Amino acid sequence: MSDKPINRREFLKIAAVGTATYAGLRVARRVAASSPKGSSPHSWAMVIDQSKCTGCGYCTLACRAHNDVPPEISWNRVIEVGKVGDRPVFLARPCMHCDNAPCVEVCMVKASYQRPDGIIMMDYDRCIGCRYCEVACPYGGRAFNWEAFTGPNPAVPTWGQPEVPRRPRGVVEKCSFCYQRIDRGLAMGLTPGVDEEATPACVVACQVGARIFGDLNDEESNVSQALKSNPYYQLRADLGTIPHVYYLPAREEVEA
Amino acid sequence: MIAIMKRVRPSPYLAWIGMLSILVVGGIVGGVIVFARGLIVTNMNDLVPWGLWITIDLSSIAMSAGAFLLCAAVYLLGLKRFQPVARTATFIGLIGYSMAVLTLLLDIGRPDRFWHALVFWNPHSVLWEVTMCVTLYLTVLLLECLPILGHASWFEKRWPGIASRLQSVHRFAPYLAVVGLGLSMLHQSSLGATYGILKARPIWYRPDLSVLFMVSAMAGGPALTVLVSMLAGRLSKRIQVEDHLLERISYFVGWVLVGYLYFRFWDAFSMTYTYEPGRTEGLAILTRGLLSFNFWVGEIALGMVIPIFLLLNSRTRQQPILRMLALALVVGGVVAYRWDVNLSGQLVLLSYLPQELATRYTTYFPSLIEFMAGIGVVAYGALAVTLGIRYLNVVHHPTAEEAVHVVGALPAAAD
Repeated sequence: MSDKPINRREFLKIAAVGTATYAGLRVARRVAASSPKGSSPHSWAMVIDQSKCTGCGYCTLACRAHNDVPPEISWNRVIEVGKVGDRPVFLARPCMHCDNAPCVEVCMVKASYQRPDGIIMMDYDRCIGCRYCEVACPYGGRAFNWEAFTGPNPAVPTWGQPEVPRRPRGVVEKCSFCYQRIDRGLAMGLTPGVDEEATPACVVACQVGARIFGDLNDEESNVSQALKSNPYYQLRADLGTIPHVYYLPAREEVEA
Repeated sequence: MIAIMKRVRPSPYLAWIGMLSILVVGGIVGGVIVFARGLIVTNMNDLVPWGLWITIDLSSIAMSAGAFLLCAAVYLLGLKRFQPVARTATFIGLIGYSMAVLTLLLDIGRPDRFWHALVFWNPHSVLWEVTMCVTLYLTVLLLECLPILGHASWFEKRWPGIASRLQSVHRFAPYLAVVGLGLSMLHQSSLGATYGILKARPIWYRPDLSVLFMVSAMAGGPALTVLVSMLAGRLSKRIQVEDHLLERISYFVGWVLVGYLYFRFWDAFSMTYTYEPGRTEGLAILTRGLLSFNFWVGEIALGMVIPIFLLLNSRTRQQPILRMLALALVVGGVVAYRWDVNLSGQLVLLSYLPQELATRYTTYFPSLIEFMAGIGVVAYGALAVTLGIRYLNVVHHPTAEEAVHVVGALPAAAD
């Protein structure tokens, strides 16, 4: 300590230069990486047609079976939201798979992350269960495993067979657009949204065709076509989250 | 063992230690139940995922703010006479941050993965920044507290070599004060930003939260340090305190409270003008609803207005009882603020459905296990500080003669 100590001004100078360098490097890396979607040819999206949905809840049950979700959790919730004429209108709410996902921004360990194809994933081996993502999600799309899910899943086998491991106690879980079906389907040369084996379980389970799944990057895909020829909206678009789930509103004409 | 038992005579001190020990044991029982059965034993749920424990966590970090403030005052501003109080504040800070770590371990779903935050980085997350700062600052506090252990007479007697080495860490106090100041400014504000950046919760989504968390910590931290010092000085014949030092800090707390009230006023007042879904309802919960008693009485009247008068008026400030009352109220007010912030954003359920402006409400009251574990952590803190005062002399204001020696030993790097 006897040699000349750094004086205050020098200290501040070093600190400022260090911070600026770090910030510069980060910006450079951001620009270089640009959007993570650049590295995937696909951009998955779901379109839910409220004029067709009857609120039967098959999608929720199929999801529970295929993703081994406990009965007290719904990755995909179906809510009655009002009436058009005298017909009830429902809204099915999976994970929105936002492009600007608040959950991804706030997760301190990157257990929530966005895949290049737009799917918001959960790394259940990394999640520490702080539940910040749950507080941050505007859509109530996340559920915490307050206790261990043991015993048989009541939705199995009636509604399908589990395709992913069951989550342990103490982590947050949510809809994954059935990434396991998409990935396996693509590997087999199938087209998600067209071939059932490559399509999310809720879409396959829907008896009235209220759900459409596909690739936004493909102009010919059913989602692109549906969005081109129908008025649509996204939930809480004002937040700037850019959801990948689109809704076709129920209208009187359709009902007539 | 029996010999010790015979020597021990019942005293208020022992009753205090005994009571805290029972609460700590209760906390351990609660903690074991939480780890065995999971967070299902709490009253938290997917609508209110953050409850009593996060309040204790935030409050103990706020109450530790005396450490960085007083160290900055002594070693950076050169107010050397406050050095003995900085010592107390540093020890309280160390205990406060260890309380925060304990509560976090209870609160996270996978305490076995607590180290993930240090290994898997998401620098974009404010909570990551908070975790990093808290970890680093805990290290700073440990280093700052090493000389306290080194100066304890029983330690010096038994291990003089180690003791002198520990004492020598004091040379780095000015550098540690700089690092501590930076880290504290960062994470004390970021804890507010943890809430403040969430667009999904309009009552939270405002930059004011970082400022308010910082300013309220600047009031609560020194208040607790002074309160503990005064209590120690009054309850123990052995401990002498320099009351004019404590009185000056109390005066400072009074002025910080004025700033805190000013920010809190404009923050709340500006929200009353326009209807904003979720935000207006959250404010209504605070001012007229479930949290209104906490807000008006706990935060504003008892937590700010009354202490401002008691601490800025020199006649009341010089009355030890009134001053201690004011400081205790400040501490209570800051805790009430943390509780209110955390719940006002979660009790309002803002709809994501189109055209549905109506919001719904939920309620939260901690479960018995949450109380047991939470109170256990607080009792651990009180026990640790009590033992620190008794065996490590953390409240020790040297007499004039000693003071010359201590100040002489201070490094000159402060100027």
